[in-house]
Amino acid sequence: MRRPALLPLTATLASAALLLAACSGTAGDDASGAPDASGDAGAATPSAGGTLVYASGDAEPTCLDPHVGGNYPQALLASQFLEPLVGRDADGTITPWLATEWTTSDDGLTWDFTLAERTFTDGTAFDAEAVKANVEHLKDPATGSSTGYLALAKVDSVEVVDAQHARFHLSEPDAALLESLSQPWTAMESPTGIARGTDANCLAPVGTGPFVVTGSTPQQQVDLVRNDDYVRPDGTAEPALLDGITWRFLPDAATRYAALISGEVQVIDNPQPDTIAAADADSSLGVEHIDAPRPGSVNRIELNSGQAPFDDLAVREAFIRAADPEPGIETLFAGVTERSFSPLASVEPLAYSDPDLFTTDVEAANALLDQAGWTTRDADGVRTKDGNRLTVRMPVSTNQSVAAEQSLFEQIQANVAGVGFELVLEPMDLGAWYTALGNKEYEAVSAPYTKVGPDVLRILYHSDGTVPAPSGYFANHAFVRDAELDAWLDEAASTQDDDRRAELVQQAQQRVLEGFYILPLYDQQNHFLVRGATGVDVLHTVSTPTFVDASLTS
Amino acid sequence: MSGSGVRAAAGWVLRTLGRALTVVVVTATVVFLALRLAGGDPVEAVLGGPGSQAGPEAVAAARAQYGLDLPLWQQYLVQLRNVLTLDLGDSYARRVPVSDLLTAQLPATAVLALTSLALAWVIALAVAVLATTARGRLGRAAARVLRGGELVASVLPHFWLGAVLIVVFASTLHWFPATSTPGSPASLVLPTVTLAVPLAGFLGQLVRDSLEEAESAPFATTARARGASPTRVLGRHTLRHAVLPAVSLSGWAFGSLLSGAVVVEVLFGRPGLGRLLVDATLVRDVPVVVGAVVVVALAYVVLTVVVEALELALDPRRRAGDALVAAA
Repeated sequence: MRRPALLPLTATLASAALLLAACSGTAGDDASGAPDASGDAGAATPSAGGTLVYASGDAEPTCLDPHVGGNYPQALLASQFLEPLVGRDADGTITPWLATEWTTSDDGLTWDFTLAERTFTDGTAFDAEAVKANVEHLKDPATGSSTGYLALAKVDSVEVVDAQHARFHLSEPDAALLESLSQPWTAMESPTGIARGTDANCLAPVGTGPFVVTGSTPQQQVDLVRNDDYVRPDGTAEPALLDGITWRFLPDAATRYAALISGEVQVIDNPQPDTIAAADADSSLGVEHIDAPRPGSVNRIELNSGQAPFDDLAVREAFIRAADPEPGIETLFAGVTERSFSPLASVEPLAYSDPDLFTTDVEAANALLDQAGWTTRDADGVRTKDGNRLTVRMPVSTNQSVAAEQSLFEQIQANVAGVGFELVLEPMDLGAWYTALGNKEYEAVSAPYTKVGPDVLRILYHSDGTVPAPSGYFANHAFVRDAELDAWLDEAASTQDDDRRAELVQQAQQRVLEGFYILPLYDQQNHFLVRGATGVDVLHTVSTPTFVDASLTS
Repeated sequence: MSGSGVRAAAGWVLRTLGRALTVVVVTATVVFLALRLAGGDPVEAVLGGPGSQAGPEAVAAARAQYGLDLPLWQQYLVQLRNVLTLDLGDSYARRVPVSDLLTAQLPATAVLALTSLALAWVIALAVAVLATTARGRLGRAAARVLRGGELVASVLPHFWLGAVLIVVFASTLHWFPATSTPGSPASLVLPTVTLAVPLAGFLGQLVRDSLEEAESAPFATTARARGASPTRVLGRHTLRHAVLPAVSLSGWAFGSLLSGAVVVEVLFGRPGLGRLLVDATLVRDVPVVVGAVVVVALAYVVLTVVVEALELALDPRRRAGDALVAAA
């Protein structure tokens, strides 16, 4: 037999090699402005200029104007080019921003704002007319605003007193007005920009912020450049250090982290708990971890008290006594977050905790269920009463619940099964999830809600929140209908006495916790990992990052 | 060409067009129904996505603007008419014509799918030839390993393979970027390999099986008896025979690449049709989903036609007589 013919084989392999070589030819001179991947992160020296690459795991905003709709991905980007009337510092105090001073009338129905002298990046002056145009834009049905529209629900109109003074007329007193105005969803845009119409304004809204939107590539990135004429909230004219930001959309968390470690990007959001722990544990990686929980509500499991079996307080308490989420939170979240015992986020100064209500007690849970009449068990070990199984349907949004959270729900499922609950986890996408909620096809659900300040309690636990919005959405998933609680929340929303507000907010939280309507889990997770950059900070409104003092390190 | 030939060709063209039309109508219908029955209200796509708390006037205005206030069957007919008149309408969420979105996203996916298909063929041929022509103890052992490798490769999930490639070649070795940057061919390497390897395993098995069969077929023996070298037998006779089944399946393979592109584009953060589909499905952006799926289906039809032509070119038996008719 002759030796094998190598010619065709060699030819084939050679062509394969050529193809690969052709593909990899430009690996060395990557077209992006990212610094060299092999750069030593340890030797960090800041340098002015350069373009920072930010990789976001949040959905790509379909409209960059946060007045339209109004979700968190829009807030992340808008914080770079728009500014609100007021800011908020770490301890919750409202601070001047585009408005330098404000006073309110005795009846709380009139607010006078003194405005800072600023110019939008398109040359339009920021003045009272602009404030009026923004509020009207938010309230115009044609804009299709959701978040900003709700935030300004009590604002009737804006009166232009003179160029630097705007007067807000309210339909009823609003204790949360300043908190509402501190959010990116009500930030100020150039009226000239707004006048271009929704389609154009969605592509590049114009603000007074440290950066300007110059363009975008759908499903790839939004390009931002420095606003050279930027004036800071304290009135000093001092632009950002960076030349610009490339804001990229990288949906996969593992890829985002890989891109951070390989130097393709300098900042990532939504990192997985294990990569945060790895970055925290190994300083040689040169990764800075910024933990910035979102304001408003904590992540919690809401029990639907509007229908069986959770219309019975004892059954709600039994579920919560048996759930035992703490070991799961410690292991699955790799120590990057702490168990919460409050309806409000830990960053809310008025958050009230009561850990004693949430001690795990399987015996007590069994006794409660026995007393409630769920005395028999079927072949699966699930308790029954009058022929009904003790089933709890829990739709899980796979777009909102990260893998660790879904695993935690599975642990809770196993824990409550011990006392005879059948917890059915139903993974579904966001659209189907909201439909399931709207149709009340759930007994338990975990729905995040971000809003600045304790007014979020009114949205989530006031009986008004059981009435669906036109889209079918209602925020009070626990179906809390408690007249006394309503009265406290109403008063907290309108009182002008800060002490009284604090007292009412605490009472309301106590009532929610003692009613076992919710099982608090942890703050809404919001982490950023930084490598190859320094000076990245977080705003204390909705915890979005700011790059005004950031610079690249080399 | 004879008169009967012209008639046959015309018939073939008509049948192909009819087939394309059927595919378009059926896919548009299935996609529309699946999306509308999956729950979720498309009007929320206009108002910032699911969970919108927009006011009553805003919801009513958006419904009226996009015809979402019509009964479902009328919405379906409007959608179908739009697709058939090649006017795909406007995206609910992005407020731009669907055709603009597709034109912008199609090239990235097409480039990815075509480079992957090419790479898969190169790997498949190389491995099949190597495995079939290997002689000696060592060669046979290597061939066995390659056969096992084909099998393993063909069942590798894209998301797993992609993640492994990122860890090895981006995070650790820094050879290729993990993510896509516009105009950087280097960023195409890892996604291409991710898509190509499982397909190469599949095509490789097909090619090798029929290559082994052909090597022992009478026509190969005859050629060898005439004194043809193994190279000549391979190049002129057996390989040609062996690639036919795999060529026939290349149309299917391209389809599988497009579905793989959904995973790969999300994993590597690449723009493209697959990712557009995922995002649009999530917010129930019906015109975008229908438009994208119809375009993919049409690409599939075109590819099937190309494959048929290739089969004719490769297989002399099919060209005899009225082969054109038989092929259609």
